[in-house]
Amino acid sequence: MERLKSQRLMLGLASLGAMVLSYTLLSHSHLLRPEIVPPAREIAVAFSELVVGTRPPPPMEGDVHAGHQMHSSDHVGTLLQQGVTLQGSLAITAARVLFGLAAGVPLGILLGLLMGFSRRADDYLHPIYVLLRSVPPLALITYVMLWLGHSEAHRLIPIVYAVAATMVIPAYHGARDVLGTYVLAARSLGARRWLLIRKVLVPAAGPTVLAGLRYAVAIAWMTAVGSEMLMSENGMGNLIVGGGLWASRTQTKADPAVVIVGIVALATAGWAMDALAKAGTARLTRWVR
Amino acid sequence: MLPRNKKNNFFSGPGIRTRTARGLLSLGALAIVYGVAAEIGRGRLPDRIWLGTHYVENVQLLPPYGSLAEEAVFLLQSGILLSSIAVSAGRVLLGFMLGAAFGILLGIATGRATRAEYLADPWVTFFRFTPALALLPLYVLWFGYGEGTKILLVASSVAVVTLLGAHQGVRSVPRVYLDAASALGAGPGLAFRKIVLPAALPHIFASLRIGLGLAWVTIVVAELIDARMPSLGYLLTLAGGYPRVSTMVVGIATIGALVLAFDLFALSVHARATRWMRRTG
Amino acid sequence: MTGPAPRLDAVDVGYTYPGDTPTQALESVNLTVQDSEFVALLGPVGCGKTTLLRILAGFLRPTKGAVRCDGAEVDGPSPQRGYVLQEDAIFPWMTVRENVEFGLLARGMPPAARVEVSSELIRLIGLSRFADAHPKELSAGMAKMVEVARVLAIDPAILLLDEPFGALDAQTRARMQDELARLWERRRKTVLFVTHDAEEALYLADRIVVLSSRPGRVEADIPVELPRPRSLESRFSPAFSALKRRIWETLS
Repeated sequence: MERLKSQRLMLGLASLGAMVLSYTLLSHSHLLRPEIVPPAREIAVAFSELVVGTRPPPPMEGDVHAGHQMHSSDHVGTLLQQGVTLQGSLAITAARVLFGLAAGVPLGILLGLLMGFSRRADDYLHPIYVLLRSVPPLALITYVMLWLGHSEAHRLIPIVYAVAATMVIPAYHGARDVLGTYVLAARSLGARRWLLIRKVLVPAAGPTVLAGLRYAVAIAWMTAVGSEMLMSENGMGNLIVGGGLWASRTQTKADPAVVIVGIVALATAGWAMDALAKAGTARLTRWVR
Repeated sequence: MLPRNKKNNFFSGPGIRTRTARGLLSLGALAIVYGVAAEIGRGRLPDRIWLGTHYVENVQLLPPYGSLAEEAVFLLQSGILLSSIAVSAGRVLLGFMLGAAFGILLGIATGRATRAEYLADPWVTFFRFTPALALLPLYVLWFGYGEGTKILLVASSVAVVTLLGAHQGVRSVPRVYLDAASALGAGPGLAFRKIVLPAALPHIFASLRIGLGLAWVTIVVAELIDARMPSLGYLLTLAGGYPRVSTMVVGIATIGALVLAFDLFALSVHARATRWMRRTG
Repeated sequence: MTGPAPRLDAVDVGYTYPGDTPTQALESVNLTVQDSEFVALLGPVGCGKTTLLRILAGFLRPTKGAVRCDGAEVDGPSPQRGYVLQEDAIFPWMTVRENVEFGLLARGMPPAARVEVSSELIRLIGLSRFADAHPKELSAGMAKMVEVARVLAIDPAILLLDEPFGALDAQTRARMQDELARLWERRRKTVLFVTHDAEEALYLADRIVVLSSRPGRVEADIPVELPRPRSLESRFSPAFSALKRRIWETLS
C-alpha cells in the first residue's frame, strides 16, 4: 500500500511532465500555427502582462524579436486598455459565485426541506420545481435582460437560480430519508417542533445536503463563467472571450495564450473553493458512521 | 408535519389521486397567474427597451397566451421549430454519447487499476474544475465555429461527470460481494463482469442522468454565443431587428420541455436497469 | 506425528486490527479441526470468532502464528473452503437461481448441468417458488439460506459458516439446523460453525470450542458426546442439559 502511495506522486508528475513535454514539442515544431498552439513563452508573457496590468514598451526598430511580439494580441491589448487584470477578473467572478451561493443555497435548501418533510408541500410544489429546473438558467438570460437591462442583477440571477435548483434535490432527499425512528424517538422524549427541527431533522439531513454543496459550487462557477461570456464586460468569462459586448462576440479574435491562462486560473480557483468546501464538509460530518 | 418513510405505513396519508390532483392544481394556478399578469401588463408594461446600444420597439414583456399561441403556430408551420429542435437535440445526443462513452470507459479503467488512476489524476482534476464552457473559446480557436466545436464542448462536460461516476461506481463496490465471489472461486475476469459492473451500474446511471442535463445547459450557451439558424439557442437571442419575446418564450418552453423529456427518459432507463435494487430508507 | 494432516490447523494465532487505536482481536489461539468433524465456535459478542473464521477462510493474514489447511499454508480464499459471511452477501442484481449457480459458473459448468444442481439445492432450502426472484423480494433469513445453498453448490470439503441462522425465527432456525445436520450426515463435510447460541452449538456439533471475550483465547474445548443422528429428543435429554450447564459456567 505504501508503495502505491509513492507511485501516486511519481505517476502524477510523470503524466504532467509528459503533457508539458509534448505540448512544448508541438508548439515548437511549427506543425500547427502559433495562433493555435502558443509556445510556453507566450503563455508566460500573457500571464505576466495580465497580472501586472500593463505591457512593457514596444521594442525598438530592428529588434529581432519585434516580429514575434506583434502577433501577440489585440486580445491582451483590448483587455489591458479596459484596465483588466487577471486577479481582478478572478476576484469579480469569484464574487459573483459567492453571491450566487449565498443567495441560492439557503433558498434551495429551504425549498428542498419543505418538500421533503411535508407531503402536502411536496404534492403542490414538486411539479413546479420540476418545470423550473428543466429550463437551463442561462437560457433565461436574454429574457431577463429585457426586464433588467445590462445590470449586475441580470447577470446574477441565472447563478442564483442554478444554485438553488441544484440544492433542492439533496435537501429533499436528505429530509425524506431521515429515519422515522429518530423522529419518533425524539418525540417520545418530548421534543417539540422547533427543537425537533434544529436538533434532529437538520443534522440528520445534513450530510446529504453538504455533499450537494460541492456540486453546487461547480455549477455556480460554470453558470457564472457562462453568464460573463454572454453578458458582461468584466470577469473571467469576459476575459477569455476577448472583452467587448455580447453582440460582437464572434468578431473578436481571441488569443489562445490568454484563453489558456484564463482556463488554468479558473481551474485553480475552482479547485481551491472545492477544497474549502470539502474540508468544511468533513468537519461538520465527523459523526457520520 | 410528520416523517414520511416507506416503513411508516401508519403515516401514509392521502392516496395517489389526491396527490396528482394537488400537482395539477398548482400547475393550473401557475398558468392562470401568468395569464392574468400578461393581461394586466398589456397596457402597463414598457414596450420600448434599451439594449445597451439602441432601443427596440414593440416589445411585449409578458406576451399573453394569444401571442404565444400565434407564435408557436407560426414556428411550427414554417418548420423553424422542428428543425431547430432536430439540430439542437441532435447535437446534444451526439455530444452526450461521445462524452459518456469516453467518460465511462476511462472511469472504469481508473477505477480498476490504481496505476491508471494515478496517471490520469492530474488531467481529471484539471478538467473537473474547469467549467466546460470556458473551453469554448479554445475549441473555437482550434476548430472554428461549427458543428464539431459544439458537439465537442458538450462531450467535454459530459465526459467529466460520467468519468467521475463510473470511477466512483467501480470503486465503491462493497467488499462483501468481492469477498463472497472470490470465496466461490471467481477469477478477476468473472468477478469484474458479474460483480463489479452490475454493482457499479446505479452510480453510472445517476451520472448519466446528470450528464444529460449538463449537456443541454452546455449546448444552450454554445448556441447563444454562436447564434445561427436553425437552432434552439437562436430562438432565444435578440438577433435581428426586433427581439420577439414570444419567440423567446416559446424557445424557452421548448427547451424546458425537451430537457424534461430527456430527463424522464433517463430516469426510466435508470429505473429499469436497477430493478433489482432495494429501496433504502 | 502420524496420521493425515488436520483439515484446519491454527497454531498460536493472534490478530490485531491496525488503525489509530489498534485492537487485539485474538491472542494465541490454537485450534485443530479434523476431517469430517463438526466443530462449533462459541463465544460472546466481540470475542473474535468472525476474525478467526476470516483468517481460516484466507481473507486475513494472522499478525502472529500460522494457519494451515490440509497441511499447506493458507494463502487467500479458495473454493475448497466454502465461506458464508455474517453480513448480507447475496448478489442483489442476480436472481436466486443465478446466485446459487455462481460458483458453478466460475467453475465453467455448462448451463444445463448448473440448473440441475441449483434446482435441487433451491428445493432443499424450500425456496422453489422464489427461484427466479430477486433478493429484494426475500426476507433476511431467506437470503441467508440462498447464500448457504450457493456455497453448497460448489460442494467444498470444508464449510466455514458465520452465524448463518442468526436472523431467522426460532422455527425456521430449528428447521435449518435439522437440514444442516441431515446434510452433514449424508456428505460428512468438515464444518466450522460460528455461533453465540449454546443450544445451537450443542445440537449440531461434535466439539465445541469456547472463546473468551476480547482478546479471544480458547477457554475450553468440550467434546459433545450425544448420539447421532440428533433429533428433537436430543434437545431434551439430560446429557444435553448437563452440557449446556457446563457451557454456561464456562462462559460466565
